[in-house]
Amino acid sequence: MPAIASKRQPRQDSGEGRALAFSGEKVLALPVAAALGLLLVSLQSRVQENPALLASTLGAATALLLWLGWQWLGMRRAGACPAIRLVARRQHYIQALVQGSVLLYWGYYWSPVYDHFWLLAAQLLFAYGFDALLAFSRQREYLLGFGPFPIIFSINLFLWFRDDWFYLQFLMIAAGFMGKEYVRWMRDGRSVHIFNPSAFALGLFSLALIATGATGLTWGREIASTLTLAPNIYTFLFFAGLVVMSVFSITLVAGMAAVSLFALSGMYFAITGVPYFIDSEIPAAVFLGLHLLVTDPSTSPRTPLGKALFGVLYGLGVFALYTLLGALGAPTFYDKLLCVPLLNLSVIAIDRAVKRIPSQSWAMMWKAGWNPARANPAHMALWVAVFAGVSLAGHTDSRHTGDSVPFWQQACAESRLNACGRLLQLQATYCGDNSAWACNELGAHYREGRLVEADAELALAYFSRACELKSMAACQNLLRGDALLRSPPGDLDLRLLLREGGANLLEAHPAELRRRACEHGWAFACAENRA
Amino acid sequence: MSADGAAAGRSGYLLLAAIVAFVFFWLDRNAPGDLPPAATADIARVGGLDDDSSAGFRADAWLLPDEALLGFVEIPAGAFIMGSDPRRDPMAYANERWSAQSRQGNPHLPGFYIGRYEVTVAQFNRFAGSSGRVSRIAGEAAHPATGVTWPEALAYARWLDGQMRLSPATPAVLRQALEAGWRISLPSEAQWEKAARGVGGRVFPWGLDPAAGNANFGGGALRAVTGGDCPQCSHGLADMAGNVWEMTSSPLRDYPFDPAGDAPAIGADALFVMRGGSHLDGANNVRAAVRGAVDPGARSAVIGFRLAIAPP
Repeated sequence: MPAIASKRQPRQDSGEGRALAFSGEKVLALPVAAALGLLLVSLQSRVQENPALLASTLGAATALLLWLGWQWLGMRRAGACPAIRLVARRQHYIQALVQGSVLLYWGYYWSPVYDHFWLLAAQLLFAYGFDALLAFSRQREYLLGFGPFPIIFSINLFLWFRDDWFYLQFLMIAAGFMGKEYVRWMRDGRSVHIFNPSAFALGLFSLALIATGATGLTWGREIASTLTLAPNIYTFLFFAGLVVMSVFSITLVAGMAAVSLFALSGMYFAITGVPYFIDSEIPAAVFLGLHLLVTDPSTSPRTPLGKALFGVLYGLGVFALYTLLGALGAPTFYDKLLCVPLLNLSVIAIDRAVKRIPSQSWAMMWKAGWNPARANPAHMALWVAVFAGVSLAGHTDSRHTGDSVPFWQQACAESRLNACGRLLQLQATYCGDNSAWACNELGAHYREGRLVEADAELALAYFSRACELKSMAACQNLLRGDALLRSPPGDLDLRLLLREGGANLLEAHPAELRRRACEHGWAFACAENRA
Repeated sequence: MSADGAAAGRSGYLLLAAIVAFVFFWLDRNAPGDLPPAATADIARVGGLDDDSSAGFRADAWLLPDEALLGFVEIPAGAFIMGSDPRRDPMAYANERWSAQSRQGNPHLPGFYIGRYEVTVAQFNRFAGSSGRVSRIAGEAAHPATGVTWPEALAYARWLDGQMRLSPATPAVLRQALEAGWRISLPSEAQWEKAARGVGGRVFPWGLDPAAGNANFGGGALRAVTGGDCPQCSHGLADMAGNVWEMTSSPLRDYPFDPAGDAPAIGADALFVMRGGSHLDGANNVRAAVRGAVDPGARSAVIGFRLAIAPP
């Protein structure tokens, strides 16, 4: 069989160094190895312990092998075979290293990430096999490097399906690679993919999950809320982001997105007296997204002003989607995922709009005389200054006003904008974390019908949950249909309520809990401390 | 792009669209929906057997016993002996002592009704099947319902209360009681003890001696609730000793029991009294005065419940 080149030319590459190429039937060893790797992963106890997970992994391996067989027959018939070229692109392995470091750091403080290791490996194997077969089926050369790593890591930093539904994770990966392969446009005379592959997959599946109310089948909520379990996560993400910024000139995108969000949050607080996001100026997962999800150089604008505009639009998009999703009753953590594909679609328009601005106009003045090579360090220096400023002002890793439940109770009592809704949202989160106090409070709200429309069934459901979590007040509320008993949070509740996003209070002494509770505005704790 | 390439591109688009459509369809079909936390927790549990009626139970009346009062037995108003006197009952535990001054108390209770039998798997599953919030439980239809949390037991009582208020199948005397404001619920521990030992202060429901033939205890297997008929037992109630522990509505706290003030300190962790011992317990734990405790979130194969109809 002749080792021929593809019918299509390989895409223009950038950033790769010396390249090794292989061709002939032996290139099929790559998808074979991926499928065999999946079979090996399926032997791990982590996979074996769940029949659905085992079936998903074996199904993914089988799908690759079937496709491989089909491909091999096709190649035999056509008398041609594809080629593989080894290419290690800097943008792939640096992104992968940074994303991997985030996973490692976060997983150190939230064990499900480490428990996820074999499933991450399975996804990577599937991604390599799928991507290679996709290239072969398109009769083009496959560029073997670290490309699948940032796609898989990026997806898994934001969303993964629970074990019983893990086959959908493989479908999500497939959708990401197919979007990269098929959904393309001509940009600057080259055929390029429109969407950031991971953001495309995340966006599509987010829409499906929102539309069907199936978020519970994923770890999405937990992922969005547990990043802050890692201490100083904002600072960590900031430094990780600097690494990417220093190499790929995406400082303007990330920096402007962050500045926009800080500004919008600050304005909202100044006007309403309550924070926009419940427990931070910028939720940690959004901060992660603006560093590692929206900053794909291939799917963002190329001009400096375009990048700045792109970042601002991301900030605005997240800000608007947070409210929109909340109003629709959908989980708000999808905000950072949904706007990236929309922004990807707008990059050509943004670049064109920026080019139409006359070079002497004020919008271009700020970069006049700057050498692009020197501009990025300057932008980075500005971003460092901005981040230092907001950190010193206590808007990143420090305690946040919205961390305190009593703050929201007071704000709700004063009828401040959205405060009661946020209080309910916060209590629902804590109830989901097994705070008996929070579940009983929710039951009380639904029984008394003051903050929300009265719903006797829902009230009973929350009282039941709280009672099962040993809240005596809730048990009495269950026993007596007309009762509305409330009690202050217990020690177990306080260990949840006072986390301030990330603190681990499981071992904290009760006296320390009371001290912290008083600082948060819990009157009962202050009274006990005085006593 | 060549014609082959364009065709492949179209196929790719179609395949991608098919994947997306499948995901929408599949999620829509299988999404659990927005359930409150308690119900969400139930999803993990495996559903049980069908609620087939058994001989002696009425399919047209919530599978309750085929008796004039659907298995409810009247316990007259009056005082009774509560707590244990170690001189009379050497197996008594310290927490059965009434007060520092007296070993036993003599509280007065208004009249009430109590179930002759423990609630069965079939009865509970009829509720679970209609509620949509609680999963069915596994087990033989006429065996006592176990593996149920305290709030779920209460939910069953609340459901039956609602059903019996509206149904013509409810015996007139019970309907009148319900119309007068009585409610179906778990018995308090005082109600349970009075029903179990009568007014004379028996140690066991049938008398003073732990005669093995009268109850299912000492390591035997779980049995159907109708397998424990005990005419010589107080009020003819079955399995007040053994088979399964029975949850009550009373929070665990020290005696003396105050029927007028059964409300606990609401800041304390919830723990409720359970009574009667199980088929796995020895004679000491199936005495009528024994006070066990159950965490309201616990599910156990040896803990069940029976119902009472009582004034508020």
